[in-house]
Amino acid sequence: MPGSYSRETAELDAEILQAIGAWHVRGRQLGDAEFDDLALRILAYQLRYNLPYARYCASLGVSGRSLPATWEAIPAVPAAAYKEATLCTFDPAGAALAFETSGTTSGTGGRHYMEKRDLYDAALLAGFDRFMLPDAARLRYFNLVPNPHDRPESSLGYMMARVAADRGDGETGWYLRGDRLFADAFVADIDDAVEREQPACIAGTAFALVRLLDDLEQRDRVFRLPPGSRIMETGGFKGRARYVERGEFYRRLAASFGISEDRVVAEYGMTELTSQYYDRNPGGPGARVKAAAPWLRSRVVGPDGRRLPRGTVGALVHADLANRSSCVAVATEDLGVEADGGIVLLGRERGAQLRGCSLDAEALLAAGDGA
Amino acid sequence: MTLRALPARTIVRAIAGAARRWRDADFAPRAQLAAAVAARTGYARSAVEYAFDALFAPMTEAALLSAIASELGCVEALDGFVGREGRPAAWAAPIGRVCVIASRTTIGVALPAAAFALCAKCELEVKDREDGLVAAFFRTLAAELPQLAGAARARPWSSVEASVQDLASFDAVVAFGRTETLATVRSACAPQARFVGYGSRASAGYVCAETLSDELRAEAVAAGAARDLVLYDSEGCLSLHALFAERGGGISPFEFAGMLGRAARCATLEFPAAQSDPAVLAARGAARDLAEFRAAAGTGAAFANEAVDYAILFDPPREAPPLFIPRTLGVIPVEGPAEALEYLQRHGLELEGFALSEPRPDLVRLATDAGAVRLTRFGELQRPPIGGNHGGRPRVVEFVRWIDNEL
Repeated sequence: MPGSYSRETAELDAEILQAIGAWHVRGRQLGDAEFDDLALRILAYQLRYNLPYARYCASLGVSGRSLPATWEAIPAVPAAAYKEATLCTFDPAGAALAFETSGTTSGTGGRHYMEKRDLYDAALLAGFDRFMLPDAARLRYFNLVPNPHDRPESSLGYMMARVAADRGDGETGWYLRGDRLFADAFVADIDDAVEREQPACIAGTAFALVRLLDDLEQRDRVFRLPPGSRIMETGGFKGRARYVERGEFYRRLAASFGISEDRVVAEYGMTELTSQYYDRNPGGPGARVKAAAPWLRSRVVGPDGRRLPRGTVGALVHADLANRSSCVAVATEDLGVEADGGIVLLGRERGAQLRGCSLDAEALLAAGDGA
Repeated sequence: MTLRALPARTIVRAIAGAARRWRDADFAPRAQLAAAVAARTGYARSAVEYAFDALFAPMTEAALLSAIASELGCVEALDGFVGREGRPAAWAAPIGRVCVIASRTTIGVALPAAAFALCAKCELEVKDREDGLVAAFFRTLAAELPQLAGAARARPWSSVEASVQDLASFDAVVAFGRTETLATVRSACAPQARFVGYGSRASAGYVCAETLSDELRAEAVAAGAARDLVLYDSEGCLSLHALFAERGGGISPFEFAGMLGRAARCATLEFPAAQSDPAVLAARGAARDLAEFRAAAGTGAAFANEAVDYAILFDPPREAPPLFIPRTLGVIPVEGPAEALEYLQRHGLELEGFALSEPRPDLVRLATDAGAVRLTRFGELQRPPIGGNHGGRPRVVEFVRWIDNEL
């Protein structure tokens, strides 16, 4: 590992920050050659300093002496590998940020370490500004995600705290602690925002938002949020017993808060990445296409890791240049399809489930939890 | 003549006769149904044919009579009062109206239950799948014995919700499926009705060091285990979901995993994978990738073909339960049965079958301690005998109401 934030590292970060800034401020895109060049140099760097990733790449025939030709051939570390090894290019004791990945099938979590906040913050704010705040609105944030004071290891909590601090109107509420939803406080604060005509941004996980809608229905409450208000939905229903069809879900959200459906924007991110996808044109016809900033590219692959023809459903593999301090390419089990200007995300809501005469994987796993 | 007036042996003979016709792969109804079942389930035609053979071959007159006699004392107990030594004479009278709800995936699993309900002279209704397998078998049965035509009905069903409404009128209900499905069905039954639910279960296997000291035996076990894995895309309670390989033989557990990988490749040729949905493919690919990541760090290995039609994962993390991804199997190296039991108990797996490479007493004990209700050989997991106790339950007793006669 390099010494404490070496010059080599600082120079690489500066290049990535420059690419982020150029898009954030001027909308400058990264050409294919530029993306390849930076991605491969980040890979070479990671092969030197991220030993578990280097070993994995070596097992696939990729090393510092035999780098791939393009970003698409960069070995993608399985997202679950973050639970298996410490995947970072520096001493994690000195991490500026450490986010916990959720426990999934194995029930154990991993960590994504970031050496500096700069990259994460820059990537996060650039994407949020472009996709959630194209009007540069100052909003009152209503967060149905973990409060970072309670759960500093939550990337979602950090993200919304950072956004609210930098882009908010100074009043931010947190309405979720563990599985507990603070609906009374939420309703009181929303009433207050409506009364004071403060445009709001309600940000929450899909599951928390569904619970909120159920609660509001029981209270027989609907709102008419001030103009400029919006909702950011993130995450899916994976691992949850309750599943709501996405279209119906957005319609209910829009109706409950008196906003149009195009003001409900879905964000797609994962703890193992630094950057996020957002709905590109949320009110448009057809499936919602998700777009990302130019330093995040994705491909849809089959189980053999090869890119699938356009229009074919497969697993998503992401290359995120802002992942400098961990792994530049990450393979997921999330399903998607390539589309004009981005991807259509599919099937994240339900994990692979067994059918079967008597076998119910979820029930078996639940039995295991209780053992 | 009503069903009750028929001797039980006559009914048994008719069922066995119908099954005999269905054992012939060229029997026209079977050929038609094989195509329909393959289309509905997505399984390869070869897997469907295997399922039909496994279903009908054991359904012989001798096997049915033996199962009934061993459970009731004698077959004639179904026809009227029979004397019993030291106990009152008794009649195993039909429980009444029986409903069997067919499984969505396990081919024909409703038929053995239906057969025994008929042997018990119950009025029977089967909620059949869209392909109409049970209905087709009942037509053959009616051809064998016309008096059975009115006694056994098969009706299609489309969903649990649509089908449970009339369940309250049955005296016994048999259902296969996921826990929540069974809960829904059970709640729809009459309070006094007998509910026979076959719920969530998995199967495991253990290859001992003795087997791994003999290459030919090890190869044979690997071939059997591969078949147990790939048949029906690992979706049944009798599919192999966890496999333990014992250290100490001439062939290491790692080498056996490689052997199993080669056998799985062959089994995949014989039983090609169903048209898998992309989520399954992605999950299996991710499992293979993660195993390769662990292997690069010096732990475990993955054995799969390029298309990842199957994945054998050697030495997966112990803290994780089996993956339950179709055609994906962890091979867990162990020092002995205690280590296997610890794993199974830690993850609270409810077991149906346990395949053992040798009937070593400590392995039999492992299987029973782990809660398995069927101990068998590798390659036989998916061929349960008709007289076996599916789910640890009796076959015909579920469908009778004992009447004692002390006069």
